[in-house]
Amino acid sequence: MSAGGSGAAAEAIPQNNIIAFGVAGGLIGIYAAYFLVDMVGQYMSFIGALGAICGMIWGAAAVRRVASYGLGTGVPSIGMLALGMGVLAATFGLAVGGVAGPVIALITAAIIGLMVGVLANKVLKMGIPIMEVSMTEIATAGTITIIGLAISMTGTFDFPVILSQVITTGYIAVIFIAGGLAILHPFNANLGPDEAQDRTLICGLEKGAIAMIIAGIVATVNEGASGALTILIGLALWYIGFSGYYDRVKRDAYAVVGSGLLPSKEELE
Amino acid sequence: MIDVAGILMQNILYVILITLGGVLISWSVHFVPVGGAPAAMAQATGIGTGTVQLAAGAGLTGLVTAGAMMQITNNAALVIASGAAGAMIMIAVTMIVGTWVYIYGVGCPPASAKVKYDPITKDRQDLYVSQGTEGHGLPTVSYVSGVIGGALGGIGGSVVYYSLMSVTNQLALADLVGMASVFAVGIFFVNAVIPSYNIGGTIEGFHDPKFKRFPKAVVASLVATLFCALISVLAIGGL
Repeated sequence: MSAGGSGAAAEAIPQNNIIAFGVAGGLIGIYAAYFLVDMVGQYMSFIGALGAICGMIWGAAAVRRVASYGLGTGVPSIGMLALGMGVLAATFGLAVGGVAGPVIALITAAIIGLMVGVLANKVLKMGIPIMEVSMTEIATAGTITIIGLAISMTGTFDFPVILSQVITTGYIAVIFIAGGLAILHPFNANLGPDEAQDRTLICGLEKGAIAMIIAGIVATVNEGASGALTILIGLALWYIGFSGYYDRVKRDAYAVVGSGLLPSKEELE
Repeated sequence: MIDVAGILMQNILYVILITLGGVLISWSVHFVPVGGAPAAMAQATGIGTGTVQLAAGAGLTGLVTAGAMMQITNNAALVIASGAAGAMIMIAVTMIVGTWVYIYGVGCPPASAKVKYDPITKDRQDLYVSQGTEGHGLPTVSYVSGVIGGALGGIGGSVVYYSLMSVTNQLALADLVGMASVFAVGIFFVNAVIPSYNIGGTIEGFHDPKFKRFPKAVVASLVATLFCALISVLAIGGL
């Protein structure tokens, strides 16, 4: 079972721009949320989720690029790998780094990702030319997703708070699955010969908005963060993402027709 | 700043154990009969989902049972046995229910397309394979192989969890459980995906020719897990 085709994917937005968008947007979101929650108020914690969405869109774009070559197994595996590497790097970075935690986490993630990419090509002989770069990108994007969502839940990335309010309470599992879906689902849902970059990425935005809404709901029970604005902005982004996705589906489909309701029992007789 | 060398010297045994646990997980995945999407349509032998989902399902159950046992005792053998039993039960239940679905729902006999005779029951296989498919259902050998895979994965997962819980630290117990679980899950996923790329989608069990590829995944997991073990021991030991 090969997911996707066997070759480089066509892209309207160059990958380098998306990398810049993911790293810069993610880090700005994380640090802006961290400092603005202290300076302005708890409701600024929503910026962390915006940073996480930058990371998720980047992750979805990187998954799209590497999975286009055909991984030999399902696309979901790479999303789980992204979050698996991300959760290791994020926890390590925040635990040892203090205020530089997110940067240390990103560097750690890049090292793990590069290592897995090199192992995949050199030892497992997967033969995907962009494997090293893509694994580095995916691990880093997963880390931004985790830290961004965690900060929007708690309003800070101070490790004792993250530990007691996100990890020990188990919300890390919610982050794991919601963030993982946003990274793996867009390409998994859109792959095929007529796959288009903008349609895949806007699907990522829609999934990221769902993760943002969930983070907002969690934030309502935490003291350091306020959830209402996160949920509202998440709903708005979800609407933009969903209608944008629907528009692109209509654009790319040969025809969109209604099938009508199922026939009733009398009509069938 | 944390004392990197000191923490590592103090916990070097656990770094090694975590790495071994990761390697066991990676090896275990090769035993699990993974059919992927083709098996979901009864067109390939195995369980109809991907490697990662299966390994994660069984392995995480193993982590839960190992964690439950750790509440009662610190005896490593009991914790590891409990993890193995949990993962074996999980994978066995998944496979037996899958077999019911294939036999009574889809209506196809369990048959392997990779071997002519089942190595365990000596039953003829190729006569029962439908045309255009690569086998279907879960023949006895795949079932046994899957249970072995569950045991190894459960042992690997619980060794990782037990080692992480044993690292010298100043954390409160609830926080330590949270940290150890997060790191164990992360290490588990990394080691479940690496072999799935090695297998390339589907495998029937230890009788499948693809099973011979496992040394490559074991080497890859060894390197990757060693690094993951270092950062997780440093993070937990530094707190």
